[in-house]
Amino acid sequence: MPNIAVFIEQRDGAVKKVAWQMISKARALCDAAGGEVWAVLLGEADAAPAGAHGAHKVFQAKGDAFAAYNSEGWSRALAAFCTANSPDLLLLGATAMGKDLAPRLAARLDAACVSDSVDLSWDGGFVIRRPMFAGKCYADVKVASATAVVGVRPNAFALNAGDGAAAAVEAFDPGLDGFTPKASVVETKQAGGKTVELTEAEIVVSGGRGLKEADNYQLIRDLAQTMGAAAGASRAIVDAGWVPHSHQVGQTGKTVSPNLYVAIGISGAIQHLAGMSSSKCIVAINKDPNAPIFKAADYGIVADLFDVVGPFREALAALD
Amino acid sequence: MKIAVCVKQVPDSETRINLSSPAPELDRSGFTRVLNPYDAFAVEEAVRIKERLGDGCEVTAITIGGDQVLETLKKDCLAVGCDKAIRVNEPALAAAEPMQIAKVLAAVLKRDGYDLILTGKQAIDDDSAQVGPMLAEYLDCAQACVVTALELGDGTFTATREIEGGAEVVAGSLPAVITCQKGLNEPRLPSLPNIMKAGMKPQETLTCADLGLEVPAALSTVAAYVPPAPRDACTLVQNDDPAAAAKELVRLLREEAKVI
Repeated sequence: MPNIAVFIEQRDGAVKKVAWQMISKARALCDAAGGEVWAVLLGEADAAPAGAHGAHKVFQAKGDAFAAYNSEGWSRALAAFCTANSPDLLLLGATAMGKDLAPRLAARLDAACVSDSVDLSWDGGFVIRRPMFAGKCYADVKVASATAVVGVRPNAFALNAGDGAAAAVEAFDPGLDGFTPKASVVETKQAGGKTVELTEAEIVVSGGRGLKEADNYQLIRDLAQTMGAAAGASRAIVDAGWVPHSHQVGQTGKTVSPNLYVAIGISGAIQHLAGMSSSKCIVAINKDPNAPIFKAADYGIVADLFDVVGPFREALAALD
Repeated sequence: MKIAVCVKQVPDSETRINLSSPAPELDRSGFTRVLNPYDAFAVEEAVRIKERLGDGCEVTAITIGGDQVLETLKKDCLAVGCDKAIRVNEPALAAAEPMQIAKVLAAVLKRDGYDLILTGKQAIDDDSAQVGPMLAEYLDCAQACVVTALELGDGTFTATREIEGGAEVVAGSLPAVITCQKGLNEPRLPSLPNIMKAGMKPQETLTCADLGLEVPAALSTVAAYVPPAPRDACTLVQNDDPAAAAKELVRLLREEAKVI
C-alpha cells in the first residue's frame, strides 16, 4: 500500500496552489491503491486545506531555518522526513523552489528523481508521465528506489472539492541542529503590480511578431489584464528586445499549461508550440491562414490582429 | 581560480520527434546535435570570468558522450575560450538518467577540485533540470539555479535567480554550482582561426574505471515514449466583420469550451 507525501511549498506563509492540486491527485491514487497521503510542511502556513483536499496527516517542522527558502537546509529537512517515514513518492511542485530542491534531495536520499510530471497512475507500481523535448513527446517512467522524488507541473491536476476532514498535524524533527548552510537567500525581489505569473496562470495571452512593433505589446498586456491572464511572448519578440525573457513561452523559455492559451500574431514555430501545446484550450488569431499555430489551436480567427483584438477585449469585458 | 563548465550535446530545438504510437525506444538517429543552449551561457560566463581575472584562472569543459560530442567540445567550448576539455566516454551511459550523469561528473569534479562549477539550467532534450543541484549535493557545496546575474568576491558569490514573478538573490561561499539561464550573458560565436587552434588545446578522455567508479545504476526506467494526444481540428470562426468574429469567439469559449 503506497504512501504518497506531498511537499507544501510556502513562501512567507503563502502556499502554492500546486500543493493542493498534488494532494487532490495523491488522494485519488491512494483511494485506488490503498495507502495514505501525507502533507509535509516546512515552516509556518495554514495547513487546513491539506486535510480538506484529502491529506490523511500533516507533518510539520518549524524553526528559524524555514523563515526563508534554503536549498541545503530544506533538502536536509525533507531527507530527514523521508528517512523517518519512507513514503513511496514525495511530490513537489515543479516551481522555482521545487526544481531547486527536488534533485538535491534525491541525490541525498539516492532516490529516483523524475521532473515536471504531468500525470501519475498506478498499475501495481507508479507510472509517472513527463514531457521531454519541451512536450514534443512524453515518457512513462517507472522508478526502482524505495522512495521516488517527483516534480509535478502546476495545473497538471485539478483540485478536488476540498471538503474532506481536518488532518491531524504532527511535528517532525528536520535534523538541522548545528547545521549552517554555505549559501542563503539575502534578498527577494518581486515584480511590482498585479501581474500573473506565467507558469501558474489559468489563462495566458501571448503576442508575437505580428504585433509589428514593441509598443503594440501593450495590446497583449491590456487583454491579459481584462482576462486576469498572464502575458507571454514568442521568442522572436523577446530576441528583438520588445519584452523581457521572463515572458518567453517555448523551448528556451517557459513551459505553460493553462486552461486557455491565446496566441496573437504568433506563427507557431515548433519551439513555441513545445512550450504551450499542453494547454487545455488554444486560441489563435493570425492573418496567415497557413500559420502552423492553427494546427495546434482549438479555435482560430484568420484576420489582422489589429482588427480583432480590440473587439475581442470588449466582448470579454461585456461578459457577466 | 579553477572553473568547470559541465556541458551536454543535445538535438537542436528545431528537432521533430517521429513517434506515432507509444514505443519502448525513441528514434534518435538523424538529429542535428548542438551544444545545449543553456550550457552556452555557462561557457560564456566562465570565459568572461577568466578574461576578468587573467592568467590565474583556468576553464575546463567537461562532458559525457561518444565521439560525436568532440565537435561540440572543440567548436563551442575550446574555440570560444575554454582552456581544456575532459570527456567521459562510457557507452553504458548513452541513455543515462540525470543522476547517473551527476554521479560521474561529480567524480571528475572531485578528482580535480574546482572553485566554481557552471552548467545550463536544464538540457533541452530531457528537460530534467536535475544535474546542477545533484552536483551541489554530491560536492557538499552551495548552489544557485536558473541564474541571470553572477558576481564573484574573494571566495564568495552572489547570484540572482529567477523565481515566480521576480528574483531571489543567493549569496554564499565557493565552491558553488551555478546553473545558467538566458539573460546571464550573450554567448559569443567561435571564429574560424580559433576553431583551428582549438584542436591544439589539451583534451582528456576518461572511462568510469579511470575515475575508480563503477558505472552508476539507473534508478528509473522509461517504460514507453508516448506521442502527444492528437488535437481536434481547429474551429475557424468565419466572419468578414472582425468585431462579429471576436464576439462569436467569446461565445464559443464560454459556451462550448467553457474556459472563460
